[in-house]
This record gives sequence, structure tokens and C-alpha cells, in this order.
Amino acid sequence: MTRSRHLLLAWGLLIALLAIEFGASFLALDRTARPLILIPAALMIAVVSVTFMELRRGPEPIRLFFAAGLLWLCILLGLGSLDPMTRINYYVLTTNLK
Amino acid sequence: MSEVSSTQEFQYSSPRHQAESAISGMWLFLATEMLFFGPLFLAWIYSRHWNQQGFDAGAQQTELIIGTVNTLVLVTSSLIYTLGVSFIEAGDSRKLIQCCVGAWLLGLVFLWLKFGVEWRHDFERRLFPASDFAIDDPHRDGALLFFVFYFLGTAVHGLHMIVGLILVGWIIFRARRKEFSAGFYTPVSVVGLYWSFVDMVWIVLYPLIYLIGRGA
Repeated sequence: MTRSRHLLLAWGLLIALLAIEFGASFLALDRTARPLILIPAALMIAVVSVTFMELRRGPEPIRLFFAAGLLWLCILLGLGSLDPMTRINYYVLTTNLK
Repeated sequence: MSEVSSTQEFQYSSPRHQAESAISGMWLFLATEMLFFGPLFLAWIYSRHWNQQGFDAGAQQTELIIGTVNTLVLVTSSLIYTLGVSFIEAGDSRKLIQCCVGAWLLGLVFLWLKFGVEWRHDFERRLFPASDFAIDDPHRDGALLFFVFYFLGTAVHGLHMIVGLILVGWIIFRARRKEFSAGFYTPVSVVGLYWSFVDMVWIVLYPLIYLIGRGA
């Protein structure tokens, strides 16, 4: 069955991405660069949504709902991250003030 | 999506319309679920940004092997369930039941590894964020925040897994009563979407919990 083969190939791809992600976690990356390990996870989500969840094959509204969910998630995470990413902390001496 | 339902409700213009409405409705629900998990991911970004060393010290205490095996288990469970959907599309109800049982058992394995093994080890090692927390200064505060994220994230995901297991069990029950055929399998597809979504949430949680702080 062609669809079964297609699904098994997708599963193989997911396992390969998982292996890449697992291996990348042992790389000596800078603390701030380590979230790049999420790239294989993002690709895995794309594979699951397109193959297992049939995002391309289903009715038109599902792509709209998926895009809307993703857009609002980006707005939530983007706006929410703006403060910690841009704030500069000026440390002040709090001892020996007398 | 090409199924022809013999159980068309009056409010739909055609069986196809009914099936597409159910599928679209589930996707709309999943879009709200994305926003349900969004603040959890934002909490991770915010907390790690201000407490990178402590957060990573917490992540290094997690059980990488169990987390990785669980990812493998969940991805495979999602594959097996989707294979079941493709079998019922071809009218093979017996293989649908076999696939659903396989997916259900793998879901159970995930829950056992997560809560029966991993959480138990975490409690034994005093990693629950409470007064007798095992990690001391200077990384205590960040590690505490990490484990708040860890326990909350895995508990909420585990709750979704339990709901998923109930739904897959419901599909097995209905399939055994021969309620699904090549002409009607919308509930099977809808539950499959939910099951794959729970898998997707874990795909995000896995690197946040086990990988990003690991080699830092």
C-alpha cells in the first residue's frame, strides 16, 4: 500500500531527526546558542502535521486553523520574549551603603 | 476525506460536508490547544533567560534515556494509529483494531515510563521543587524554576495522554462493534488528529526538558 510506505518513510525521517537532535545536544554550544537544538524538533512537527495529520490533504479550513494557531503562538512567544531579550539590567551595589 | 457516510445528520448538505466539518472542528480545537501550551513555552523562555546556569543545572539532572525512549515510543504510537486510519480507509476493520490496540499500549508504556519510573526517581532524588530540594546554591533558584516547568509541563502533557488513551479506547470499542467501514470512519480520523497533536507537544517538550541544558 502506497500510503503505508509513505507513512513508514515519514517515521524513518522522524527517527533520523530525533537522532540528530539527540546528537546535537552533546555539542559544546554556547548557552545562548543551545536553543538552536529546537530546529530538528520544528522539522519533526512539520513532518507529523503533513504526513500523520494530513495537513495538505484535508479540507481548506484546516490549513487556515493551523496557520492561525501558529500565528497567534508566534505573537504570544514573540511579544512575551521581547522584554527579557531587550531589557538591560544595571546592577547596583546594595551593601555597605552607610 | 473521500468517505461517504451512511449516518448523515440533517444539518449537513452531504456526508462529505459532515466529515469535513468534524475534521475542521478538531483542527480548530487543536489551534486553541496550541495557545494553551504557548504560555508554558513562554515560561520556559522567560525563566531560562534570567536563570540560564541554574536552569541548565536542573536540566542536567533529568533522565535523558527515558526521555528519548519515550519520544521514540510516542512517535511510533502516532505512526501505528495513522496506519490504522489508512487501513480503515481501505475497509479493513480488523487491522484498524490491531493498530489502535498497538497505539494504546505504547501510550500506556509512555505513561508508565514517565510517571511510574521517571517521576518516582525524581521524587527519590528530591528533585520536586519543595523545601528539601536537592540542588543547593548557587544554582538552586534556577533549578527550582526548571523543575516547576518540568513537573507542570509533563503533568499537563500526561493529562492529555490520558484523555488520548480514553479516546483511542473508545475507537477500539466502536470498531469492535463494527461501526466503522470504508464509508464511515470520521471519528477514527478525528481521534488520530488529537493523538498526533499530543505527540507534537512532546516533540517540543523533549528538547526543552532534556536536551538544551544538557551540554551547556
